[in-house]
Amino acid sequence: MTQPFLSIRKLRKAFGAFTAVHDVTLDIPKGEFLTFLGPSGSGKSTTLYAIVGFQDPSSGDVLLQGKSLLAVPSHKRNIGMVFQRYTLFPHLSVAENVAFPLRVRRRPDAEVKKKVADMLGLVRLESFAERLPGALSGGQQQRVALARALAYDPPILLMDEPLSALDKKLREEIQAEIRRIHRETGVTILYVTHDQEEALHLSDRIALFKDGRIEQTGTGEDLYLRPATDFVAGFIGNSNFLAAEHLETVGGAATIRLADGSLVSGISANGSFERGQKTRLMIRPEAFRLERNPASAELTVDVVDVAFYGERRRIVARTTTGQEIDIRPTSAAMASQDATPSRRQVFFDPGAAFLFPA
Amino acid sequence: MLLDYDHMGWLKTALLGFTALVAAFLLLPVVFIVLLSFGSSRWLAFPPPGWTLNWYQELFADPSWLEAALTSARIAALTAILAVLIGLLASFALVRGEFRGREILRGLLLTPMVLPVVVFAIAIYAFFLRLGLGGTTIGFVVAHTVLALPFAIIPIATALEGFDKSIEDAAIVCGASPLQAKLRITLPSIRIGIFSAAIFSFLASWDEVVVAIFMASPTLQTLPVKIWGSLRADLSPVIAAASSLLVGLTLALMIVAALLRRKFKT
Ligand SMILES: Nc1ncnc2c1ncn2[C@@H]1O[C@H](COP(=O)(O)OP(=O)(O)OP(=O)(O)O)[C@@H](O)[C@H]1O
Ligand SMILES: [Mg+2]
Repeated sequence: MTQPFLSIRKLRKAFGAFTAVHDVTLDIPKGEFLTFLGPSGSGKSTTLYAIVGFQDPSSGDVLLQGKSLLAVPSHKRNIGMVFQRYTLFPHLSVAENVAFPLRVRRRPDAEVKKKVADMLGLVRLESFAERLPGALSGGQQQRVALARALAYDPPILLMDEPLSALDKKLREEIQAEIRRIHRETGVTILYVTHDQEEALHLSDRIALFKDGRIEQTGTGEDLYLRPATDFVAGFIGNSNFLAAEHLETVGGAATIRLADGSLVSGISANGSFERGQKTRLMIRPEAFRLERNPASAELTVDVVDVAFYGERRRIVARTTTGQEIDIRPTSAAMASQDATPSRRQVFFDPGAAFLFPA
Repeated sequence: MLLDYDHMGWLKTALLGFTALVAAFLLLPVVFIVLLSFGSSRWLAFPPPGWTLNWYQELFADPSWLEAALTSARIAALTAILAVLIGLLASFALVRGEFRGREILRGLLLTPMVLPVVVFAIAIYAFFLRLGLGGTTIGFVVAHTVLALPFAIIPIATALEGFDKSIEDAAIVCGASPLQAKLRITLPSIRIGIFSAAIFSFLASWDEVVVAIFMASPTLQTLPVKIWGSLRADLSPVIAAASSLLVGLTLALMIVAALLRRKFKT
């Protein structure tokens, strides 16, 4: 096997009796954009801090090109990092901020000057070189921080929720910049966010954290279309969970009985289930159809409310056993006169529904 | 709020008047001294029958006054340097440190501010006599540094609390050693606190008289001690002139401190 570029091995970090990170193992190839996604307190930052060296792991190892980083002090790891908070040096100009890592490395003046110009060009802030950080907007400050973190060509760039303090529009703008910079520089990026959309837009792969463990690692599509656990299914995208009883599984396709008594077969089963086991069936709101087709399963619902969301409509409906579900057909698929409260059938492809233990 | 200044009606006027009265009561004696230092009456008659700069001429002609002023300035400068250095280290421990007894240490370092000075003066006098430090510059500086420390720690610790440690961490990730990061990034970022600390600890020593009386020797006298001593010998307007200069420098430094703070607040 070829050696992975960055490798996190069985990383564990305990604070007293509380274990913030359990046994995280990840291999990251060179040039990958990997995102740590997960709810607050799930151990994303702690894992990142172990890589940069702000926190010593309780056990486990971090290897860069096969060599352990743990014995190397933070300032000698040569890693780039952009923080959640604004961390520009307040008394230095933008240009001097970007030059700082090169100056501590005692690079010759001419090289520093050229590199600063290149980096400010990369983040498109050439004309701000002489400003002090206090005279920049939040978005500009984070772009300078990015330029500073890349100025010394680090092999890895860590970003801990760099955009969380910015408003939505600015965030999207800088996301696009980050994608472009990743493409242009080819730097390996570890990115932390708790915003799933951001993770889906930016990353090659996502590691989904829950309670200090990685729940699933994969592309956005893997996590969305093939969630390994109900937590992943619930965290990425929107989802409906219906109570169901498992009857049998043949060749990965399960047959279940829903609470209203209807039978559905051909469900993708994650793991094996007993006969009669209580389970939960996950169906994405967008997976529901309003027209029958030969392979589809059906569900009888009472429509409670319909709202227009532009591209899609959002139907709030209730199953005959009273469970509320969320349905998002395309707007074109549903004429507006259908939007009256009534009982009707909705359809879904059993292959796009997932069965999880209750 | 009930007692919001803008909503107090007539109380506002009353409060303003009362504050003005207190300020006048505190400041008038100083104003008198300054006026008397320019007055022509040797007997400090008020109002002065005429105006003159004689007393200042006499003051500058007497080398013992100049010497006392220089001694004061030297001791105050050394005190300021020492207090700022110790204040910096103490502030890092108090703000960043996580250790048992941190609050006790904070209290201990700030006690000189509330401890009756005369008690401290007697204690340190007895102690330094035994060590042979009485009447020496080192003794003066050490004693004054203890008194000045709270005035150094408070502005530095406040500035350090307002400084986001992530900025220092960022410097370390950029390749600066922890010490380099503190010297090149953290200290310049909290410089306003350091300047204030230097000015206030200079002043704490510059106009300190109680400890100075105990520490002084016939050959080592600070300006306040010299004023105090001359006052007991005879009441000359020269003393008023010396006092005015003392107040003048104090006032000038306070103004510098205030300007610095205003400049960096915006
Ligand atoms: N220094 C510390 N001492 C004690 N507990 C800590 C410390 N640092 C982090 N923790 C705990 O470890 C857990 C994981 O924290 P971490 O900061 O890694 O979460 P996160 O996934 O980055 O969350 P967020 O999205 O809120 O930043 C949290 O429960 C947190 O309270
Ligand atoms: Mg975090």
